[in-house]
Amino acid sequence: MIVVVTASTGFAFLVGWELMTLVSAGLILMEGDSTERRHNVFIYLMMMHAGAAAVVASFFLFLPYSHSLDFASIRTASASMPAGIRTLIFLLAFVGFGTKAGIIPLHLWLPRAHPIAPSPVSALMSGVMLKTAVYGFVRFAFDFLGGGPSWSGYVVLLAGAVSGLLGVLYAIAEHDLKRLLAYHSVENIGIIYLGLGTSLVFLAHQAPVLAALALIAALLHTFNHALFKSLLFLGAGAISNATHTVDLEELGGLQRRMPVTGATFLIACCSIVGLPLFNGFISEWLTFRSFLAGSLLTNTKAQIVLPLMVGVLALIGGLAAACFVKVFGVAFLGRPHSKEAEHAEEAPLAMRAGMGLLAAACLWIGILPGFFLRPLASLAQVLVPGAGVPEETLSIARIIPWVAVFVLGVGGAAALLKHRRKMVRTWACGLPELSSRMQYTSTAFSKPIRFVFSTVYKPDRKVESLPADQPYFPATISYRSVRTTSYEKALYRPFVDLILSAAHQLRRMQTGNIQVYLLYIFLTLVSLLMFLRFQG
Amino acid sequence: MITAINFFQALIIILGAPLVRGIIAQFKARLQRRQGASIWRPYADLAKLFRKEDIVPPTASWVFRFAPIVLFGATVSVAAFVPVVQPSALLASRGDFFLLVYLLALGRFFLSLGALDGGSAFGGMGASREALVSSLAEAPFLLGLAAVAILAAHADIAGIVVWTLRQNVFNISGVHILAFISLAMVTVAETGRMPVDNPTTHLELTMIHEGMVLEYSGPSLALIEWASAVKLHAMLALLIALFDPWGMASSLSGLGIGAALLLYCAKAALFVIVLAVIESGMAKLRMYLVPDFLGVASALSALAVIFTVLAKR
Amino acid sequence: MGLVEIATGKVLSSFSVFLFLTILLLVVARRISTAILLFSAQSAIITAEVLATGFRERLAEAYVVGALVFLIKVVLIPRAFFRLVDRLKTPRDVKASTTPTQSVFIAAAMIYLSYAAVHSYGQSVRVPEDALAAAVALILTGAFLMVSRNKALMQMLGLLVLENGIYLAALTTTYGMPLVIEIGIFFDILIGLLLMGIFTFRIRDTFDHLDVSKLRRLRG
Repeated sequence: MIVVVTASTGFAFLVGWELMTLVSAGLILMEGDSTERRHNVFIYLMMMHAGAAAVVASFFLFLPYSHSLDFASIRTASASMPAGIRTLIFLLAFVGFGTKAGIIPLHLWLPRAHPIAPSPVSALMSGVMLKTAVYGFVRFAFDFLGGGPSWSGYVVLLAGAVSGLLGVLYAIAEHDLKRLLAYHSVENIGIIYLGLGTSLVFLAHQAPVLAALALIAALLHTFNHALFKSLLFLGAGAISNATHTVDLEELGGLQRRMPVTGATFLIACCSIVGLPLFNGFISEWLTFRSFLAGSLLTNTKAQIVLPLMVGVLALIGGLAAACFVKVFGVAFLGRPHSKEAEHAEEAPLAMRAGMGLLAAACLWIGILPGFFLRPLASLAQVLVPGAGVPEETLSIARIIPWVAVFVLGVGGAAALLKHRRKMVRTWACGLPELSSRMQYTSTAFSKPIRFVFSTVYKPDRKVESLPADQPYFPATISYRSVRTTSYEKALYRPFVDLILSAAHQLRRMQTGNIQVYLLYIFLTLVSLLMFLRFQG
Repeated sequence: MITAINFFQALIIILGAPLVRGIIAQFKARLQRRQGASIWRPYADLAKLFRKEDIVPPTASWVFRFAPIVLFGATVSVAAFVPVVQPSALLASRGDFFLLVYLLALGRFFLSLGALDGGSAFGGMGASREALVSSLAEAPFLLGLAAVAILAAHADIAGIVVWTLRQNVFNISGVHILAFISLAMVTVAETGRMPVDNPTTHLELTMIHEGMVLEYSGPSLALIEWASAVKLHAMLALLIALFDPWGMASSLSGLGIGAALLLYCAKAALFVIVLAVIESGMAKLRMYLVPDFLGVASALSALAVIFTVLAKR
Repeated sequence: MGLVEIATGKVLSSFSVFLFLTILLLVVARRISTAILLFSAQSAIITAEVLATGFRERLAEAYVVGALVFLIKVVLIPRAFFRLVDRLKTPRDVKASTTPTQSVFIAAAMIYLSYAAVHSYGQSVRVPEDALAAAVALILTGAFLMVSRNKALMQMLGLLVLENGIYLAALTTTYGMPLVIEIGIFFDILIGLLLMGIFTFRIRDTFDHLDVSKLRRLRG
């Protein structure tokens, strides 16, 4: 991964890119393998390679103009390229990096790969690997191509909005903690793409300062996401070590058993939701402000679309808050839902220290953002020529500490007020004892939202009550609700069919006769020689 | 001097909040031809709760005790954003409306967690419903405020108020009408008032906010109740400041401030009476009609944003 | 004198906002009686616009037309409607096939669309853009109401809203039509309403309900 980021030529970049895919696939398989696991890794690899092909193609399209894959020469060459080629490069890069970043509908591998990967690997994949894709896209769109027509910005904006909304909606419906977090990666990539798209729109309308603002927002969110998502995955790892499950329905009451994990996890939850005083808020706030600044443009379309995105991001934020109330509330609070959760042990010291460090970083950026915004602002000035330091980055750095003083001061004063405290069991409406079965579960908690957005989920419900002859006095009721992913099937089926039929055609070439294989090699050699001869 | 007045403004909102509740309750009682309790009753309630002991379930963690404190801190900070008698406030000069909305979200997040920590079914039910209502209310809230902010070309609340003060009272713009309607709807949903949530019910089929606070008692409950009263008052004051700020003191003379304060009380009383009439005249919406209520608010606020452009041409 | 002129300008420039408001409320109205009242309010706004136009263009007959509009659309038609609802004894909800949220979003989109459609035209001719956009939006809303509401009564109301739109469009582009044409139009509306009323009764008597979505059974 480091190779990818430090590479200064296209070739090194591509090698690093491929290496990253293969190593991460190996890491996913580290914890044993089964048919299902191998199937999921296969999907992961296939989508990665399709994406990598697009990236390679977009690099090679530069070649006829730059004559080298050196980043510097690509940059100088891109200015003189025809518009059609630039469009093609942009689209290829968008699809290629989008696959790695997991924007919807190219996200299929994310919820499949994450649950089976070991938690530290998940943290690494979600925290760093997705970021390399964002890095690659920023490299292409801003550094190489230097922006584009305004529609390219709207395409990115649309991808961001769709990924953000669907990502968070799918996340709410999940109760497998790691898959839920994977869907939240989709959501956060969506927010990052919203920032990038806004920046591209501003760039197309010659508003460099605002473009820098949106770009800073996106980059800061990228960094923030790396922090809190790693923290969340480490927390999930600690939970799975302690209880051997990451199913939210089996957890509960962990806060009392694992106080440090719980506290750091809570900080991560607040951060990802974008609550003030935590780091997610700073980047979301900057994104909001750049949307609002869209009204300053003279183009009518941008004036309408960008401010409306405020509503989209607000909806994403609101749903994310609902989702993490559910995650933290069901996993850490209340009573344990299972024996394992009841006897959970706190994570080892090293892990606690790691999580504490990440949590401290989240709080630091959340309360004193100025320190991080300054280097980002100068970076944005490199990527967006002619941009000053956006005024918003300064104002947020100035106001947030005051708000923190206010909230903490009033809260502290309120905390000093209280004195006597008495432990009494929660009233159980006259029943002898409350049991954990009476608590809200994850599925129950998300039911209203799933009901309201049922057009998105297209649930497949089935209720069976036994015995069948007494419908009103059932002994057992079984209920099953599955989210159908109809659009995924509709989108991917043609591709899969096409590839399968192509594979069948190719099978005919594979006769099993070694001489035929030798013939293939010979023919390839001859045709290559002929190609050289006639080209020269 | 100005800081002192700003401090005074925040105190008006925080300390006057129980009174707003008391007046609503009294007025509703009158509409229903009851005597009703005194308008000072909420203060007596708070004092009583603060003297009592805090009852905590043995299964709860520190989050349960911590939640009311965060809620109170965040909500009181919101009160410091809203101008009352003159167009500035403690945090209003640089803090913009995004910060305000998300501070409310911070408080709500922790209250929902506290509800889930209680360990009973009611807390989960309240939190789950609150999650639905608040997640859908956030978009119209921000869009409505954004529409007004775009017109004023200021994102900070003080800037918007100053701009509005310079406009003609009779210059009705579509943006303001649409934004006002959607924000009023959001206020009703956010503060848990009548067509969305019934603040006086304890019936498990209907309660949202009351379900969340069911396990709280003593000083914790007092903080929560006070915070929700402050929230209601701050939202009312915000509506007044954004859509009807005329009469705010332009200079810092004692007379001007006094007159502005009186005028504010009159406007707030008017709002409170309208709220009471609406509450008495309407039945609570079925739970799954609330998304439609908020959907209408969202569409209105989106239209308000679109109108900011169409009106400029 | 000055006050009247200011009021006239105000009516012409900003009353379309209230028209938009009636549109938005119409599409979320859940009871027929609310919808009728909204139609009545809408017609009152249009009356005000007729009078304001007449005042500005110094047309004496505009006041006659204004009085006619007021009499027919604000008083007579709503009253006839209320009586119809009373006599038909049908459930009072409108039976919408879209949820309120969808309806309002569609209405918002239609308002935006009408602004976009009017924009190029409004620049070439001297007409108030807001009023013309409101007229187009009224036409679209009327059509939308007719399409999406299952009650026969609501389809009558949709037609009336649509007619309001056409009338407003004519008013804003021609600054008042000759009196004869106006009277002809009103006569048309009354006859149309009468016919529809009769048909509603026939439908109710034959099928015992007013749900037009169930008229599919008539197909042979």
